[in-house]
Amino acid sequence: MRVAEKLSENILDKFSMDFLRNQVLKNAYGNNDTVIAAMDPRLLLVWYLFFGLVPWFVNDVPFLLGCFVLVAVTTKLARVAGLVLFLFVLGVFSQTGYLLLVTLLFGGDASAIQPLLVLTLKVATVSLASVTIFSGLDPDRLANGLMWYGCPERLSFSISYAYRMLPLLMEEFQNVLLSYRLRGNPPAHDTLVGKVRYLVYQIKIIIHAFYPLMLNTAKRSRTTVEVLEIKGYRYAAVNKDVKKIKLSCLKVGNDDLLFLSLSFLWVAITVLVSTLL
Amino acid sequence: MNNMQTQSANQSQKLMVFVLTMALYGLATLFTELIPSFQVGLVEFSVEYFLFIPLTLGMLFDPMSAALGAATGELVFSEIMLGQFGGLGELEKFITVTIGVYIAGRLVRDPRNVKMVGIAAFSGVVIQQLLGTIVDILKVQFAVSDFEAVEGLPESVFFTEGFACLNDVLFSGILFCLLPTLFLVPKLYGKIEPLLGMQPRTDKTWLGNIGWNVILGSVVAYAAAIGAEMLAESGMSLVDWEADWAGSSSALAVGMVVAAVVAVVVVLVMRTRSHKDAAVQGV
Repeated sequence: MRVAEKLSENILDKFSMDFLRNQVLKNAYGNNDTVIAAMDPRLLLVWYLFFGLVPWFVNDVPFLLGCFVLVAVTTKLARVAGLVLFLFVLGVFSQTGYLLLVTLLFGGDASAIQPLLVLTLKVATVSLASVTIFSGLDPDRLANGLMWYGCPERLSFSISYAYRMLPLLMEEFQNVLLSYRLRGNPPAHDTLVGKVRYLVYQIKIIIHAFYPLMLNTAKRSRTTVEVLEIKGYRYAAVNKDVKKIKLSCLKVGNDDLLFLSLSFLWVAITVLVSTLL
Repeated sequence: MNNMQTQSANQSQKLMVFVLTMALYGLATLFTELIPSFQVGLVEFSVEYFLFIPLTLGMLFDPMSAALGAATGELVFSEIMLGQFGGLGELEKFITVTIGVYIAGRLVRDPRNVKMVGIAAFSGVVIQQLLGTIVDILKVQFAVSDFEAVEGLPESVFFTEGFACLNDVLFSGILFCLLPTLFLVPKLYGKIEPLLGMQPRTDKTWLGNIGWNVILGSVVAYAAAIGAEMLAESGMSLVDWEADWAGSSSALAVGMVVAAVVAVVVVLVMRTRSHKDAAVQGV
C-alpha cells in the first residue's frame, strides 16, 4: 500500500514542469566532466556516422549485439539524463513493440520475433549512438565540430545560443505561466465536463502566456543581435581567419585516438566472432 | 531613420527576427517533445502544434527569417539539445515548416485584417500538413511496390494518412494555430515591431504578392525534402532485401576476417603511437 502510494507520487512528480526543466538542464549542462564530453567533437562525429549508419545495413546478430553493447557503454559514460533515456525506451518500444503486436494480431507466430529483435537492436543502436553524441557532448563543442565540417555558421550559432539561453527562457516561461495561474480562477474539475473545461483553460493560459513572452524575447533578441553587431559578428561569420582562430581550440588528443581505436578493436572483435559462429 | 521604411529592412533586423522565432518556437517544441501524445482509436491527441508562434511572427515581420528561425529552432532545441536527432529524415520537417510559415507570412498584406490573417494561418497549416502527408504516402508507395499482392493496402494507406492529415488540420490546425494566431496578431501588431526597431507592416511596406519564383523555390525545396526522406527510408528497405543472401556468402565471411585482422593491426599501431606521443609530451 505504502509502496503503491509512493510510486504514484513518484510518477506524478515526474510530470511537473520543474521536473521537465531540471531534466533538460541536466541533460544540457550536467555532464561536462564526462569522458565523452572531453572528447574531440570532430572524431566523435565520425564515430557517430559509423554507428548511426552501419547497423542499418547489417543483419548479423552478433555484430549488432556488439555494437549495441558498445553504444550502451558510451551512453553510460556520457551520463545521459533519465528522461532522455525514458523517451528513448518509449520510442524503441512504440516502434517495434507495436509492430510485434500487429504481427501477432494478423496471425504471425513466434518466428516473427527474431526479425523484430534484429530491427529492435538496429533502432536501439542507432538512437543510442545519437543520444551519446548529441546529449553527451557539450553543445558548444558540438557546434564547433559541426562548423569544422563546414556546416552553416547560422546553425552553430543557433546551437551555442540555445545552449546559453535555454535556462533563462524556461525560467521566464514558467514565471509568466505561474503569474497567469496566480491571477486566474480555474474551473472546478470534478466532473468530466469540468475536466474538459479545465484542460481548455490550461491551454488557453499557455497561449496567453506567449503574448508577454513574445514581447520580452523580442527585446532580448534585439539586445543579443546588437551586442553581436558590436563584435562584428556578421563579418566574422564569413571570415576565414576568424573561423581558424575560433576552431583552434579543437585538438585531437591521445584519449580521442584511444577511444576510436578501442571502438574499432571492439567492432573488429565482434566481426571476428560473427564470422567464426 | 531611413531603413525603418520597409519591412525587410536590414540584415541585423533579419537576424533579430531569426533569433526571436528560433528561441520561442524552439522552447515550445522542446516541451511538446517531452510530453507524450496519446491516441484514441485513429485520432491522435497531441499538443504537437505550436505553429502559431512562427505564423504570428511571420505575419508581423520578415517571413523568410521567421520561417528559417522556426525550423532551426525546432531542430536545435528539441532534436539536438535533447539528443533526439533523427538524421536525414529531419530535413523533411525542416523544409515543410519553412515553406508553410513563409507562404502564410507572405499572404498577409495587412495584419489588422482579421479575415486575411485567418486565411493565411489556416493555409499555412494546410500546406505544411499536406506536404508532410504526401511525403508519407509516397514513402509507403515506394516501399511496398514489390508486394502489390497485399490487397487493399493502397486504399488503407490513403485512408489512414488522409485521416491523420484531416485530423491534424481540423484539430490542431484550428485549436492550436488558427485561434491563437487570430488572438495574437492583432494584439501584438504595432507593439512588437518597435522593440526590434521596425515599422509595422502596412499596405505600403509589405513584400508584395507571391510571385512565380516563390512557388518555384518551394517546389524545388520540397523535391529536395522528398529526396532526403527517400534516402533516409531506403536504409530500411535495403535491410529488407539484403536479408536473402546475408549469412550464406562465404566470400563475405572471408572479407570480414581480413578486415578484422587489418583492424587489429591498425589499432595496435595507433595505440603504440599514441603512447609514444604521450611520452614525448610528458618530457
